[in-house]
Amino acid sequence: MNIADKTKHEEKLIASLINLPTRDRNKIIRNQPLTMQEKRKIKKKVNMEKQKSANQSIQLNYCTQCLTHYRHFKSVTSEFFQSLDVWQRTLKIIGSKFGTSVLSYFSFLTWLLKFNIFSFIVNFSFIIIPQLTDPKPNNLSFTGLELLTGAGSFQQTVLYYGFYTNSTIKHKGSNTSYNMQLAYIFTIGLYLVICFFSLLYSMACSFRNNFINPHVYSRGTAKLVFSWDFTITREKAVKLKQRNLTTELKENLSEIRHENVITPLKQRLSRFCIHLAAWIVSTGVAIACCAAVYFLAFNNMKFLREHKNQAATLLLPFLVCCFNLFVPLFYSSFGLVEKFEIPRHQVLVIIIRNIFLKISIIGILCYYWLNSIAVSHEECWETLIGQDIYRLLMMNFLFTLFDSIFGEFLRRIIGTKLIKSLGVPEFDIARNVLELIYTQTLLWIGIFFAPLLPFIHMITLFIMLNVKRISLMMNCLPPSKVWRASQMMTLFIFLLFFPSFTGVLCVLAITVWRLKPSAQCGPFQGLPSIIHAIYGWIEILSNRPSYLWVVWIYRNLIGSVHFFFILTLIVVIITYLYWQIIEGRKIMIKLLHEQIINEGKDKMFLVEKLLKLQESQKKTNTFPLAQERREQEVSLKWSKDGHLFILDKREWSEGTKVNLEDM
Amino acid sequence: MNSKGIELDPELSPKVESAWLFYRFQALAPQLVTLDYTSNPGVKVPYEVISSMPELKDNPFRERIAQVFSQDGDGNMTLDDFLDMFSVMSEMAPRDLKAYYAFKIYDFNNDDYICPLDLEKTMIKLTRGELTPEEVGLVCEKVINEADVDNDGKLSLDDFQNMILHAPDFLR
Repeated sequence: MNIADKTKHEEKLIASLINLPTRDRNKIIRNQPLTMQEKRKIKKKVNMEKQKSANQSIQLNYCTQCLTHYRHFKSVTSEFFQSLDVWQRTLKIIGSKFGTSVLSYFSFLTWLLKFNIFSFIVNFSFIIIPQLTDPKPNNLSFTGLELLTGAGSFQQTVLYYGFYTNSTIKHKGSNTSYNMQLAYIFTIGLYLVICFFSLLYSMACSFRNNFINPHVYSRGTAKLVFSWDFTITREKAVKLKQRNLTTELKENLSEIRHENVITPLKQRLSRFCIHLAAWIVSTGVAIACCAAVYFLAFNNMKFLREHKNQAATLLLPFLVCCFNLFVPLFYSSFGLVEKFEIPRHQVLVIIIRNIFLKISIIGILCYYWLNSIAVSHEECWETLIGQDIYRLLMMNFLFTLFDSIFGEFLRRIIGTKLIKSLGVPEFDIARNVLELIYTQTLLWIGIFFAPLLPFIHMITLFIMLNVKRISLMMNCLPPSKVWRASQMMTLFIFLLFFPSFTGVLCVLAITVWRLKPSAQCGPFQGLPSIIHAIYGWIEILSNRPSYLWVVWIYRNLIGSVHFFFILTLIVVIITYLYWQIIEGRKIMIKLLHEQIINEGKDKMFLVEKLLKLQESQKKTNTFPLAQERREQEVSLKWSKDGHLFILDKREWSEGTKVNLEDM
Repeated sequence: MNSKGIELDPELSPKVESAWLFYRFQALAPQLVTLDYTSNPGVKVPYEVISSMPELKDNPFRERIAQVFSQDGDGNMTLDDFLDMFSVMSEMAPRDLKAYYAFKIYDFNNDDYICPLDLEKTMIKLTRGELTPEEVGLVCEKVINEADVDNDGKLSLDDFQNMILHAPDFLR
């Protein structure tokens, strides 16, 4: 049966390859699971067939020509983009030495880097370049401290909101004008919309790849066993991977065993109390940190007026970064007391506590900025907020650098030379990814107040990528804990979306709709609120007859409540329908699964009957060949018209038609 | 390539430098494989030499890999087999191709099914004997329960491909 199948498959393959261009044909032959010799034979056959039919004139349909060109174009562009991926080689090396979990951190980092490059390009082309053509003079001198504090001479550069003009930029001698107000608000709005959709898309993709399981694949033991990575070549890495696999399998087994074991009530109660205490302590510490930040922030203004030193502005960021560094270490020390039955839960709990801490700190800072600085009648409050965010990002970058250099480097030296029992440090993925999410949130808030911030963040991310990579190679071991890399990545992208991105949207919405922009600087000076720029634009447009459709769209679609209500209703209905379709498909999968099992049973039953029939035939038949027949393996095949054929496994014969009534 | 008179088709080896691979093949056993390849195109490099290559030296499955890719199943490889092996292992090979060959590697008794005995051998190679026999048995049972779709107690190629191609961490 195998040989027959093979020849049929070959013929189909050759027939399908004749009409394709050479490049696609070679690609398909390459990807067949055949040996080199067989591939060469197929290639020769295809060439022969092609020569035969080349003698006849082939007039390809216009559509098929288009299709082939399109396919060719697609393959060329995908190869081009792959070759652009400069970091691919680096990532491959990291993946082979440290496994997929550490690799997922670095791919997350490069993904965020690409995001930032995109936002920088958008901002640069639409906001910064036009402003650069109409610059205001910069009177302040540059001292080195500006790089850290962002104040001083940086204040009057394109870095901050305050530099941008609120007028339309006109060039002498040309008729084109560029409305800076609209450009500013539309660029940032468009960028946020694109971020929103790309985050949703990545989240949906990871969800689909990781969580859509048929009911059978519950624990993934099978996936663990077959997930051996054949590209690992170093002996140490191989041993490490084997050890990790053993640990994971043991933990899997203990989970299974744990389900069958009922822990005594007293133990369960004590565990529950410890968990509760740990949660209360961690929440309390987070609230205490937030309160400290709040008090310092509110006293900051008085403090800054007393100490006119520029460096004094660094106190608040310094404190925030200290909190971000030491409190997570404190949280992980809970692990000595708090024991979890399922190790995976421990990682989740750590992540939840850390993200709660970080988001509450950002929340308190936003509250301070929007409630205190924005209404404080300071001149150019947006620039002040921009400077605060710049300082936070810079301080965070410095802390991360020190953490990599001293934390991991020193720890390795201590672990190997001084206290040998400590060992080499492990690469802590959760902590590093949460740092990335924290800085990305700050960046998104800061884009509105300091448009050049993505450029700076891009540079810092690039430096951090290389520092982390070098530190990893020199100092660290891969993590030994259970780490389902792809599931964790889904969780991290989800965390990036909510609460990070949604929080940013809330903050910016409050800024645009509720706050009064400063009266003397920035592109929105003089307006009662930033959104009035759009209102004013719509008013202008309604006086021009050719743009009335824009005004209509604005008034009746974007501005009306009924439209959004109907839209929400439609989205909810479609979601409900898709949900029902999924439920139906789950039932279908179950039924098909049962059908496969039943067909297997049918096959066994028929084969037994067949053997019995052959035995009874043999008794009436004296040829020794019949005995040979019985020992050969048979398989059954249903033909299209419903007849059952017995096929010999070794030879391709037409098969004996079985009369079902005989059975 | 043509100057050496070798019929190697660079279009059929995915992105792998066929010339570089030939020189590596030749360097493994210089006495057996001459630079003038056409004089003896079917020459086989014995398994012991192949398994001492740095890429395969520490791989716990090197014996099975050599057996799967060699023509007679004994681990001695010709140049064609060598090229096949590297092209499937390269990162450019598509996932279903890798899944197909992974199945053949895990199928120790070559009966086109991964039966519990094959699984036990796989487990022992994977964990270097650190799991107790009871644990190995438990894991094998779990694996068959999870992946066997047609309930015949062993994994066919379809079962394997179905399960593996849904695992996003596989063979990245």
